[in-house]
Amino acid sequence: MGRTISIETGEESNPRAESMSLLFKYLRPASVLAYAVFSALPCMAQAAKKSAAAPSASVRQAIKLVATTGRCKEAVPILRRDLPRVTDKDLRYHSAMALTRCAMGLNDDQDAADSLLLLKREFPADPEVLYIATHYFSEMGIRAAQELAAKAPTSVQARRLQAEALESQGKNEEAAAIYNKILEDSPKTPGIHYRLGQILLAEAGATGSTDKAKLEFQKELEVDPTNAASEFILGELARRGGQWSEAIPHFTRASTLDVGFTEAYLALGMTLNASGKFADAVKPLERYVAMQPADPAGHYQLAMSYARIGNKAGSTEQLALQAKAASAAQATDTTEGHAAPQ
Amino acid sequence: MSDRMSRLPHPLSRRQFLNAATAALAATWKPPIARALTAQPAFVEVPASKSGIDWTHVAGLSPQMYLPETVGPGCAFLDYDNDGWMDIYLVNSGPCDFYKPPAPLRNALYRNNRDGTFTDVTIKAGVGGNAYGMGVAVGDYDGDGFPDLYVTQYPTSILYHNNGDGTFTDVTAKAGVAAPGWGTSAVWFDYDNDGRLDLFVCRFADFDKSKNVICGSNEPGGHFYCKPNVYKPLPSRLFHNNGDGTFTDVSAESGIAHTLGKAWGVVAADINNDGWLDLFVASDTAPNSLFLNSKGRFTDIAALSGIAYSPFGVARSGMGVDAADYDQDDWLDLFVANVDHETYSLYHNNKDETFDDASISSGIGPVTTLMSGWGLKFFDYNNDGNIDLILSNGHPDTTIDRHHPDVHYFEPMLLFENNGSSWKNVSAQSGPIFSRKIAGRGLALGDFDNDGAVDVLVAVNNGSPVLLRNTAAAHNHWLGIRLIGRKANIDAIGAKIVYQAGALKRHVTKVGGGSYLSSHDPRIVLGLGQEMKLDWIEVHWPQPSGKIERFTSVPIDRYITIVEGQGTWK
Repeated sequence: MGRTISIETGEESNPRAESMSLLFKYLRPASVLAYAVFSALPCMAQAAKKSAAAPSASVRQAIKLVATTGRCKEAVPILRRDLPRVTDKDLRYHSAMALTRCAMGLNDDQDAADSLLLLKREFPADPEVLYIATHYFSEMGIRAAQELAAKAPTSVQARRLQAEALESQGKNEEAAAIYNKILEDSPKTPGIHYRLGQILLAEAGATGSTDKAKLEFQKELEVDPTNAASEFILGELARRGGQWSEAIPHFTRASTLDVGFTEAYLALGMTLNASGKFADAVKPLERYVAMQPADPAGHYQLAMSYARIGNKAGSTEQLALQAKAASAAQATDTTEGHAAPQ
Repeated sequence: MSDRMSRLPHPLSRRQFLNAATAALAATWKPPIARALTAQPAFVEVPASKSGIDWTHVAGLSPQMYLPETVGPGCAFLDYDNDGWMDIYLVNSGPCDFYKPPAPLRNALYRNNRDGTFTDVTIKAGVGGNAYGMGVAVGDYDGDGFPDLYVTQYPTSILYHNNGDGTFTDVTAKAGVAAPGWGTSAVWFDYDNDGRLDLFVCRFADFDKSKNVICGSNEPGGHFYCKPNVYKPLPSRLFHNNGDGTFTDVSAESGIAHTLGKAWGVVAADINNDGWLDLFVASDTAPNSLFLNSKGRFTDIAALSGIAYSPFGVARSGMGVDAADYDQDDWLDLFVANVDHETYSLYHNNKDETFDDASISSGIGPVTTLMSGWGLKFFDYNNDGNIDLILSNGHPDTTIDRHHPDVHYFEPMLLFENNGSSWKNVSAQSGPIFSRKIAGRGLALGDFDNDGAVDVLVAVNNGSPVLLRNTAAAHNHWLGIRLIGRKANIDAIGAKIVYQAGALKRHVTKVGGGSYLSSHDPRIVLGLGQEMKLDWIEVHWPQPSGKIERFTSVPIDRYITIVEGQGTWK
């Protein structure tokens, strides 16, 4: 990513600093930690003294010591303490990265997660951040799954996790058997009918009806009336069949149950438009475009609503936004063949 | 993790769900093995050995994968010698900057021998083409009673004037309609209501050999035919007929050139019943256009009318188009076929210059989810009085089967029957052709055996054309009408025929063009169902005539000719 600054001066990078940065980048935290055992402490103490007055200096020093001597154990408290006060963007990046790597090596989940989330928030498109996040959260997931299997192997949660893993491998039949067993034991377990519905939906062919899947989503709502996803899918199934009047209440409930469910607003607006209820479509679509301004779909549907209720200015404005959003989407569109996913 | 996420064990976006769900449905959909419910399927393929049509399209498919290679060709039914029997014209590829045919290639004109066979008369007629051919539009632009041919090509198109003696003359230069660039579909229609046929020519993207884009990897076999978003859009062209054998390019002053597109299909139809023919143009990876004609000045209202984009607000790959009043509410509806994963759209006219996409409620959308459509036409295939729909399909990328197991280069045709209130996919029971997978492109309608059952001709990319004889209308009555305009344009493009036969009251509009790269039998066939008598017919002649002529005591089960203003038929 090329974001290297001099950890000595905060100025543009020099070759040495770059090579150290690269070295640090590829050093595994464990080896850094091992090296730290034999590191000298006086420098850290000196850095700690300075840190209260000059967080940048202390953080730079901490990064340097981690990079050159791998003394994570000493660096973490300083980075943890002073990172929030660092304002320089590049320095924040490097200090958060150092804290993340050190904390991961020390199995310090709290610091690792905190600093990684900071990196994700402040550098959301940085490939290194995303790479580390992928590994870290995967590892967290695996560890948590192992703990679940070890500590509560017969729990609903453990069996459900096992079924979901089978589903991801395409072993739908085996997954469904586990889900059904869970329901035999605990008929009111939320989320299980939903998963069964998903399996049935995936397996429905051209001649296979989606009725059984639909039934599972309906049962899910009996168990958990707050399941917005089930409401949404029931709405979609109805919409696909052109059953607007059936779809509309499902989408309405989905968006009510979960006010952050953006796609539910779009689906509701689209369905209201399709059924000719253009005035009713305006509110959910306005909400959708406010939440997802980069999606041409919302602007387009809202433009249609406005146009049909006589709001020509609003419609023209939304069409301009739609064209801009569509153009941006097309600029990043693949040049693959016609069947490339849209 | 948000509340919602916790309730979604595998969070999915609405579009992901839609894609997954529709793909799952469509992936398992296989065209059923066609089975005849009766002894005779609705459409019977007439083999070359029987028809005598042994011409084959040669695409010149190359490793460089130039886009024109997979998108042609078109075809036409026309009565070039005015003997009352439909002849056939087929367009081939040919020499150009990216293609040097190893052997000479030519288009083909087949004369109808009136016995189910055809004779190749291309050489005598002199209509072989001279470049990389695409499509054909037939119209009697000079009003001499003989249909002329406009053949779209890359890099320039040709106007063949019909000399009336079985020969044609290339008058492109004199007429001024070469339309440099990549011409695709074209249509003859009278845009300024002066009684003469003008010419609209769809132009595809900014393309030549030097601008060809290679898509895919450099691994052996890694190339594929590009999605056209890699090419720049261009305006289509409108030529005004000066009435002296010449034309004036009025693209700019008419407003047509204000819209940039990548135009494949066009139909001329009066969508707002104001007496001026509008244009619906399908574009690929660019918004479709609906050019509303206001006294010869066009404004593209597609976006506000609801037909420019998909419901998700993105341009699709529009290809074939048509217009007809399928629900008989007196307002013309529209259809556009798109590429796979986009579904085709049936646009119902709201009578206010807007349209609703009825593809889902009609059932046509789900069936076409994984298909790519080109030639298509509304017509009453069984003469029951309801307007049905036929489509030819096939993916434009020859390598698609390698990349997408659910999408295929060769695809079967589709036939949808309209029972007056809903649509039914009757492909499976309508003949083996609806199970056979082909690279279908252009599609033309024409009753080549004059039995009143409108037949179908499909042009196949890099293959032999498919001629389909219609047997579905044998049990119903009909009347075929050839309209000849006098004050109105001679081909009566834009005319409407209203008819009553007992309880059956219907109307049919003669639109200009429609389908893809193709041109159709100029006669109109009125389906009467089981009614054995026509009470009356009314011909609503297009402007500048605007005359309405009513006829009673007309015969059935035959063709008649009605000349504007003569007050009788013959």
